[in-house]
Amino acid sequence: MASTVAGRDAHLGLGESRARMRMMEIVAMATVAAMVAGLVLYPIYYLLQAALDVGLPDTRPPTAYGVDNFVKLLDYPAVLWNTLVVTCVATLLALLFGFVSAWILTRTNVPFRRTLDQLMTMPYYVTPLLGALAWSLLGAPESGFINQVWRKFFGTEALIDITSPMGIAWVMALFEGSVAYVMISAVMQSMDPALEEASAVMGGSRWRTMWRITLPLVAPGVLGAAIFVFAEMLGSFSVALVLGTPARFYVITTAIYHFVSQYPPRIALAAAMGASLFAVMFAMLWLYRWLTSRNSFVTVSGKAFRPRVMDMGPLRWVLFGVVVLYVLASAILPVATLLFAALQKLAVAFPAASNFTLDHFRQAFSINAVRTAMLNSILLALVTATLGVMMTGLLSWIILRSRLPGRGVLEYLAMFPQAVPRIVFAFGMMWAWLVFPLPVYGTFWVLLIAYLTVFMPLGVRTISGVVLQLDKSLDECGQVCGASWWYRMRTITVPLLRPGLLAAWLLIFVASVRELGASILLMGPDSKVMTPAIVEAWFSSSSELTAAMALIQTVVITAMMVVFGLLARRLAQHGAPAQ
Amino acid sequence: MTTTMSNAAAPTIEVENLCVRYDGVMAVESVSFTAAGGEQLTLLGPSGCGKTSTLRAVAGLERPTSGAIRIGGRAVYDRAAGINVRTEQRGMSMVFQSYAIWPHMTVFENVAYGLRVRKEGGAALAAQVRHALDLVKMGQYAGRNASALSGGQQQRVALARAIAFSPSVILFDEPLSNLDAKLRSEMRIELRELQRRLGVTSLYVTHDLEEALAMSDRIVVMRAGVVEQSGTPVDIYDFPRTAFVADFVGSANLVAGDVVASDADRGTVAIRTKDGLVVHGVTHGRLVEKAGTISIRTVHLALSAGRPVGEVNVWPVQIVRSVFLGDVTQVHVLWSGQELVIRQIGGLPAIVGEFAYLHVPSDRCTLLET
Repeated sequence: MASTVAGRDAHLGLGESRARMRMMEIVAMATVAAMVAGLVLYPIYYLLQAALDVGLPDTRPPTAYGVDNFVKLLDYPAVLWNTLVVTCVATLLALLFGFVSAWILTRTNVPFRRTLDQLMTMPYYVTPLLGALAWSLLGAPESGFINQVWRKFFGTEALIDITSPMGIAWVMALFEGSVAYVMISAVMQSMDPALEEASAVMGGSRWRTMWRITLPLVAPGVLGAAIFVFAEMLGSFSVALVLGTPARFYVITTAIYHFVSQYPPRIALAAAMGASLFAVMFAMLWLYRWLTSRNSFVTVSGKAFRPRVMDMGPLRWVLFGVVVLYVLASAILPVATLLFAALQKLAVAFPAASNFTLDHFRQAFSINAVRTAMLNSILLALVTATLGVMMTGLLSWIILRSRLPGRGVLEYLAMFPQAVPRIVFAFGMMWAWLVFPLPVYGTFWVLLIAYLTVFMPLGVRTISGVVLQLDKSLDECGQVCGASWWYRMRTITVPLLRPGLLAAWLLIFVASVRELGASILLMGPDSKVMTPAIVEAWFSSSSELTAAMALIQTVVITAMMVVFGLLARRLAQHGAPAQ
Repeated sequence: MTTTMSNAAAPTIEVENLCVRYDGVMAVESVSFTAAGGEQLTLLGPSGCGKTSTLRAVAGLERPTSGAIRIGGRAVYDRAAGINVRTEQRGMSMVFQSYAIWPHMTVFENVAYGLRVRKEGGAALAAQVRHALDLVKMGQYAGRNASALSGGQQQRVALARAIAFSPSVILFDEPLSNLDAKLRSEMRIELRELQRRLGVTSLYVTHDLEEALAMSDRIVVMRAGVVEQSGTPVDIYDFPRTAFVADFVGSANLVAGDVVASDADRGTVAIRTKDGLVVHGVTHGRLVEKAGTISIRTVHLALSAGRPVGEVNVWPVQIVRSVFLGDVTQVHVLWSGQELVIRQIGGLPAIVGEFAYLHVPSDRCTLLET
């Protein structure tokens, strides 16, 4: 039964072909690494170059470097102040929404907890852009539905002004609240209930336990969430664009867009603004990483405990109402509003039978530009998701499982786009690809490159989560069995990672269809995509048509997700034969 | 058990001055041993002793910092010669501690994997898989989804997978440690039988003493990255070389004192404790110096009410503690200012505070290396 090792080698035909395999493996890894570095660093380089360019205008490369552009930023104190106010208020509000709902859903015996927990993710799917459109229809000082109703019954003043800084912060907070909820409830769930039980056993009252034990333990996690949310708010674009720009209220991201798209464009100023924003966000996210990696008292082991639940008595129905109210304001009301507006000839608060129509939907489908943009978006998203999964899958594998030197740096690079607001990244890309020897600027290719770059962190994060759960010895065993890297990838790794790869595909697909910040700067006349087209329609055609377009986009995404979900389930069943 | 199995057809495993370092910390420091063809050699030691690192270095899953590893005379790793054969090309097999059963495949596909890699197919493949599954008594589970197996069944499938492609070297990384105690003792015997039947050379890693004693032709005891002692199970049990081995391989009492007599020809030695008690023992070829430590296994000590005749190592002692453990009773006695532990089956009913005679044959008292 036993034969010599040398004999087996001959039988296997080892040697030359193996060496070639090994070479291919190294080449594949090095290619991905080089690609990532290029995708991320090339635009950043051009962003910084433009920001430091103080030489002759319209001359590239720059003839002189300096920090004058940054000094000039001080001429726009309003933009900086607006950004600070909106971001701070929105962060506080979002944290309040997130903390309160996390506490209610993890710590009290609120009814229908599981359903509420699922509903809490809805705002994420509705997106801030849709929220801004809907809330604009609801809360614009003159025509807003809420103000129309108010004026009808209570007087002549407007009740709310959604285009004010507080209004903008409110809409931003509604959507980021869902992110804060996910982060804070994870922190609350990862706390060992025995810590609280110990306090109770020692005679600590419920409130004492809460103040002295629970809050100090979750505080670092909440602080982490606060920093993360703040950084996201700094880079957010769509809400301020929709609600702020008509009234000439600018935050940094919309100011950058304004500087680039006005004539003549003020490139140097936009670059300096982008670079500063990028620096602040980078510092914030670095702080966040540092805070969460310090592994403070709360276990971040990923082990989920069943927290102790407080019996709130009849008050629990009040808490139920609080969560439902949040979901209503952030998800259900916006979608209902858009539907209500899209179905009317002229959107008003009080419905009249003669005012209803399907014309806007018909129009949305019949306008060539809209149809093209829709098809473009879907096609682009399909390609981005497919290529993105292959790239980020390989990338996650290299970062977590290979011995490629410099893989730590690679991880940093791959997560880098997270710290750069899309609009800033797009600016760098625009500036970079304008001088690139290949004519990609203004075509699909530049959009594809941009999407692949900005969604890299999303893909890497999703797939890494699954790779980490995979027992290393599953691959090692294939190795010992004599299987080459490619063979193991095909037979072991990829099949086992399939759920993660599918999830990443779907996430990237959905994110691509909805992408605004990068697309709005990079799309050309022949490469229109859906979300910027919606914004364009908002500013130049009717709000009813825009509402119809936004709804169509949402329906398309939802349909894709349902179809894909079913497909994934079929695939999963196929992968696991009957027992 | 003392006779070494050997099989000329099976390759030897030679490990020479192997060093493995992680981030500057030495996990394995110059370890050397040789497993003869067809032999089962066990690396035994507490966690963190470097035994798993050594095994993984042999498999090629860990890259050593220096040394050499040869399988059947062919170098698979040699720092000096710049050789490092990839795991896939080393042509061995391995059973993992976590079993590493691929959950997305059936039992059959798991076992067939190594054969498919070797471009086997059709009836020959099916027959070999069937044979391997039958050997581990899992024949009727071939079509079962691998994720629907119990721990013991997964263990068997892992074993079948490791032997299916008829490897001549199998590595075992604590394969039984995740099983419950009863199943473990059953599998111990089965695994040993299988290893003998297949005549493969195997390298086995465990921290479990009984497993090592029951399954091995030879044992290499490791501690903190270095080899403490290697030899047959009986050799290691009866003649521990160091205090660590004496303690780790079974339980032992260590007594220290000045050497008062020694006879190089007969291999005997006598030491006197600081309280003046004399212990006679054997040197087992070890260097006798001015002072020495003697190891006495807890099961070799005996208590009796009357003074036994014809024994050299006899001391009156007082019983300070008696712990009933079921199969044995553990008795602690006060002896020369220290507590000695005696494990006895039945024997004298031990009453705390009573006096008794403690005795041990002098050939059961082994001088340790200093």
